[in-house]
Amino acid sequence: MNEDLRAAKLWLSRIHELPLRESVAVMNVCGGHEHSLSMLGLRAVLPEKIRLIPGPGCPVCVCPEEDIADAIALALEDGLTLVAFGDMLRVPMNATKGEINTLAGARAAGADVRPISSPQEAVAIARDHPERQVVFFVAGFETTSAPVAAMLAEGVPDNLSVLLAARLTWPAVDMLLQDKDSSLDALIAPGHVATVMGAEEWRFVADTYHLPVAVAGFSAVSLLAALYSVLRQKLENQPFLDNCYAELVQPHGNAKARRWLAEVMEVGPANWRGIGIIPASGFFLRGAWQRYDARRRFDVLAAPRRRIGEMPPGCDCAAVVLGKLTPEQCRLYGKACTPMHPVGPCMVSDEGACHIWWQAGLRAA
Amino acid sequence: MSAFDENLGDTVTLAHGNGGRLMRLLITKLFAPHLGNPALDTEADSVCISLPPGELMVTTDGFTVQPLQFPGGDIGALAIDGVVNDLAVAGATPVYVTLAAFIEEGLEMAVLASIVQSLGAAAKAAAVRVVAGDTKVLPRGQGGGLYLALTGLGVRPPGCKLGMSQIKPGDKILVSGTIGDHGIAVMLARQAYGLRGDVRSDAAPVLSLTQALLDIPGLRFMRDPTRGGLATVAHEIAQAIGHGVSLEEAAIPVSPASASVCEILGFDLLYLASEGRVVAVLAPEDAPAALAAWQALEAGRNAAIIGTVEANARGVRLLTPIGGARLLPELEADALPRIC
Repeated sequence: MNEDLRAAKLWLSRIHELPLRESVAVMNVCGGHEHSLSMLGLRAVLPEKIRLIPGPGCPVCVCPEEDIADAIALALEDGLTLVAFGDMLRVPMNATKGEINTLAGARAAGADVRPISSPQEAVAIARDHPERQVVFFVAGFETTSAPVAAMLAEGVPDNLSVLLAARLTWPAVDMLLQDKDSSLDALIAPGHVATVMGAEEWRFVADTYHLPVAVAGFSAVSLLAALYSVLRQKLENQPFLDNCYAELVQPHGNAKARRWLAEVMEVGPANWRGIGIIPASGFFLRGAWQRYDARRRFDVLAAPRRRIGEMPPGCDCAAVVLGKLTPEQCRLYGKACTPMHPVGPCMVSDEGACHIWWQAGLRAA
Repeated sequence: MSAFDENLGDTVTLAHGNGGRLMRLLITKLFAPHLGNPALDTEADSVCISLPPGELMVTTDGFTVQPLQFPGGDIGALAIDGVVNDLAVAGATPVYVTLAAFIEEGLEMAVLASIVQSLGAAAKAAAVRVVAGDTKVLPRGQGGGLYLALTGLGVRPPGCKLGMSQIKPGDKILVSGTIGDHGIAVMLARQAYGLRGDVRSDAAPVLSLTQALLDIPGLRFMRDPTRGGLATVAHEIAQAIGHGVSLEEAAIPVSPASASVCEILGFDLLYLASEGRVVAVLAPEDAPAALAAWQALEAGRNAAIIGTVEANARGVRLLTPIGGARLLPELEADALPRIC
């Protein structure tokens, strides 16, 4: 047995020794966490009283419909190339029959839509095609927003612009915890986001809401250590901010990344798909950087923004994102909605809870 | 690169398939020298063969892999090994193959010569003889350089009872080596993800592995985990027998290089093809003997007992190292088309 496995089993046995008397609901807010604990099969080995709930950890899932509509409208413009992270190409919007409802559909109709895997690729495509306008459609959390800010700060060709649908994670958690009906008992804070923004950003969970919180990494050891921490905090009724990913997460995060973000972007109210406007939850280009804002550059986006309805009929993605339903409780899960034919974004993205549960073998209940 | 007759030219043209002089040169100067054996008569329309005693076994397979050459193999060796392996896992000794080559106009003659040489070497290594063949040339754009279609003939001892219907609850599942390396090697050879690595395809004949188990009384079933990988073989077993299959994640052999490529790209080795491995199902009391027989062979040095057939269960469960379990879904979207 290797070192890591031994350590993970030790944490697991410690968790089993805790005198839990009532059910405990622990939310994670990172698709990577949900992916790891699903693939490790952790739910099957934890005490039954522990409920692990996937929360708002998928940026693709909360990207509002109007932004996807904007991206499609841009992609269909002559002389324009739209680049986006691969997941975004398949996210459907609630279009009327016959209308193009994904970027992949726009590409099939002849639009130049290209999947990329890093901001550097967006810059390279813009450099290689000075005769074209290149728009980088960015849906992401702090971990994506910081590299995009760095990309702009380091200089990009004039023919590159960005269509931002970038969000901050903690305001969504703050909104969830404000809800009087919230039944959450503890939070596992997102490791990657904390490497950028710092662990301190999550202190409000303990200080304001008196709930246990621990930053976790993505290994079994780190996830189980964080789980043990929040359970013990709960039992002792002494919530505090614990950092179980200290090898990568500093209290104040990555100073350089935060500087880039502060220089290039400002924070404002933003719409979350199916959830609504959350104050101070979106990144927007600030000041002089707005000349790279696709929304200001292209007239086609000046028309009144379309709002057909946030979610396709029957789709419970919003409730899944908020942890109010688990994926298999959605009526469409595994029936009308599968990874081959996704109805909602949670079944598209690798970070979406429905997609992860499907990959982990969970079929309709 | 392999030498070939200069009269053939540098690239394949439609004239190499027109039935005339160039086609005759292609067959006699490029194919025959590497496939040459007493039973191959390049002039005859059909040939007479004789087979050793036993049950006659036949298999047929097409090969379309892209790229044609990849680290650890090429379409020629892959085609021979693929046919040999389909016979071998059924308990047969391969004896003859037939070969049809569909060549795209414009293929470099040197590449074709190298592939045919490699095919001939693989046939020799597996002790099978190419006894009939055909070549066609397709206009440019109508084929991926080269497609091969092979039929294999073999014999197995009378009364050999191997098949999924023999599998019983409690049986153990073994794999002969690391899984998914062929899928990773082909993917890296396409350079589709800007990744390079030193993963070599595991493509090889598995005859030594299958023969090593044939005398073990508790041997139930063997299969080579090609397209769809180990997870797909497990699903085929579970569906055919109406019981469940559980696999021990920590016991499944994987090469570190393939595992890291999977981690970066989000692929799962359980679903990727091997072309030189065998999955075997044995009665529990005979599994240790089978494991020892495999581990004594170079081709089986990483062999392991990786799973169990479970009564009162359905589907395929992966038991994780921490003691958890998850269901392994059936393969849906194919991450890597055209790997064989």
